[in-house]
Amino acid sequence: MLTMQHLSKVYRTHLIETHALRDFNLHVSEGEFVAVTGPSGSGKTTFLNLAGLLETHSSGTYLLDGVDVSKLDDNARSRLRNEKIGFIFQSFNLIPDLNLFDNVDVPLRYRKFPAAERKRRIEHALTRVGLGSRMRHYPSELSGGQQQRVAIARALAGEPRLLLADEPTGNLDSLMARGVMELMEEINAQGTTIIMVTHDPELAARAQRNVHIIDGQVTDLGDEPRLREPVAAVG
Amino acid sequence: MEIRPIFSALMRNKTGLVLIALQVAITLAIVTNSLFIIKERIELMNRPSGIDEAGLFTVSSLPFAPGFDRAGSITQDLATLRAIPGVIDATPINNLPLSGGGWGEGMSTKPIDPNTSKPEDSKGTTIYMVDDHGVNTLGVNIVEGRNFNPDEITDRNERDNGWPQQVIITQALAKELFPDESAVGKRVFMSNDSTGSVVVGVLERLQAPWVNWNGVERATLVPQRVLWSSTRYLVRVKPAERDAMMKTVEAKLGEINTGRIVRGLRDYGEIRKSAYSRDNAMTVILISVIVGLLVITGLGIIGMASFWVTQRVKQIGTRRALGARKFDILRYFQVENFIITSIGLAAGILLSYGFNIWLMQVFDAERLAWYYVPIGAVCVWALGQLAVVGPATRAARVSPSVATRSV
Ligand SMILES: Nc1ncnc2c1ncn2[C@@H]1O[C@H](COP(=O)(O)OP(=O)(O)O)[C@@H](O)[C@H]1O
Ligand SMILES: [Mg+2]
Repeated sequence: MLTMQHLSKVYRTHLIETHALRDFNLHVSEGEFVAVTGPSGSGKTTFLNLAGLLETHSSGTYLLDGVDVSKLDDNARSRLRNEKIGFIFQSFNLIPDLNLFDNVDVPLRYRKFPAAERKRRIEHALTRVGLGSRMRHYPSELSGGQQQRVAIARALAGEPRLLLADEPTGNLDSLMARGVMELMEEINAQGTTIIMVTHDPELAARAQRNVHIIDGQVTDLGDEPRLREPVAAVG
Repeated sequence: MEIRPIFSALMRNKTGLVLIALQVAITLAIVTNSLFIIKERIELMNRPSGIDEAGLFTVSSLPFAPGFDRAGSITQDLATLRAIPGVIDATPINNLPLSGGGWGEGMSTKPIDPNTSKPEDSKGTTIYMVDDHGVNTLGVNIVEGRNFNPDEITDRNERDNGWPQQVIITQALAKELFPDESAVGKRVFMSNDSTGSVVVGVLERLQAPWVNWNGVERATLVPQRVLWSSTRYLVRVKPAERDAMMKTVEAKLGEINTGRIVRGLRDYGEIRKSAYSRDNAMTVILISVIVGLLVITGLGIIGMASFWVTQRVKQIGTRRALGARKFDILRYFQVENFIITSIGLAAGILLSYGFNIWLMQVFDAERLAWYYVPIGAVCVWALGQLAVVGPATRAARVSPSVATRSV
């Protein structure tokens, strides 16, 4: 699904250079659920941004689905994000002035699906995260956990092959966090590759594989495959 | 298109929307009405006076010597003027077209009795007292009948109030007095005159001194030399030679008779300019108002859009992360502006006509020509789209990484 070789990312300001990622090597196979852990400032978000084509890398190669993404222009990258990748953010990033239906609709419109198709996908996605009855509500009328479910629905509606989540439970209490985690496990069980950055060792432990980043590099001890735990109650 | 969700989002941010839409509405109403008033002023200023303005200038003679021979002086002046090489013709005249000051009379097809006649029985006209060179000097066209004959010219002293036997009137006046027949040969009457005068000729066009009078094209020539305290001459030369000829004429008149002052030398460009100075000033003010309003509205749109871009940086980054191209972001702000401007214009169209109706009632303005509002609306639309380009471009440059980086 995703291969990074000798990838580096340097942030340059006129005063300093920050090597956010150095000689970063990682392979993620189709269908994996990878948890990324590491101390604050170690480069987790940078890694996720490169993986999700939100930023460009400074050197090295990144193959997404076998395609060298450094060759793509901005429009092609937008299109890949739109069609192949789903994003879940720590602070949900819902658009406050749009109701749930319209929020989930945002990526679908950029994909130019016909209205009927969009409606079907939106209703299906919101029903799947348990919010099918609240489509006309606005984000501010929901709890944090519910908002993150909407964000997941928004990511799912485009049926992405890769789901990227940056601390998706960081702003949630543990009960809500567990609910979101269960939802993601369910999604993974249906074949979507998931890469999730988290601070929570308990959640990380539930992933199939852990990648530990320190100082912009993958550390060996973290990168050990584990047996996949059986997923209960797929709904 | 994505009009529906953008519109829904806007409806949750009504303050900015209402402010800009209101500004757009007021701008449209004032701009269209101002443009219309300007157009009317320009049309007014462009009406032909009927005379050869480019070749005309005026000069006056003010006698001061005791026992000054007024009639003799006029005869001598005119003979001298007409003999100067380059002078096409010259005439004495009591008042000048476009000058602002003139002689007004009521003219009727029946004798005017001050006790029984109603104002609507007579038509107002201005009176120009000239000699048989008047027509040629003014450069007016006789469309029917003839000019005055030299023997028809009489002198008019300060206390005289009778009228000569002949008059020449303009077509506009002729139509008012004789709507269905030729005026030539007909008798017309002015105040204090029971015998009346015969219309001997009809002029194509000649304006009165008062450019804002609604009867500005009703003028009458009478064959009289006025022997008043001062005599005004009108001199016609080739347009290209006018400036030089004015100096020559002034010097010559001063030379031949030292018992008077030669003064009031003015060309017609100057006379026209002062006739329309208020209209000109009005036009300049209105143009400034239009430009000022458009600039303020443009800046208002830029300011509001910039504020919204800044406020929505995270949303923009998120949209980019979810697959929006730069172009999609640009278009979002253009469409948003289009919606706001359209709402403003919808109100502005009503306001424009309302404003016009008010101007019609209070200032007697004309009804706004229908196409001013749509043309104004298109201009304000274009202004809005142009004003939002800057902020929208800035929005399109927001990096998708903002979605994960900002909190
Ligand atoms: N846009 C940027 N400009 C400069 N430095 C940055 C930028 N983004 C991140 N960094 C730096 O890169 C390093 C890695 O950041 P990040 O990937 O956000 O870490 P993490 O998500 O693991 O906390 C940090 O030192 C951070 O300060
Ligand atoms: Mg981070």
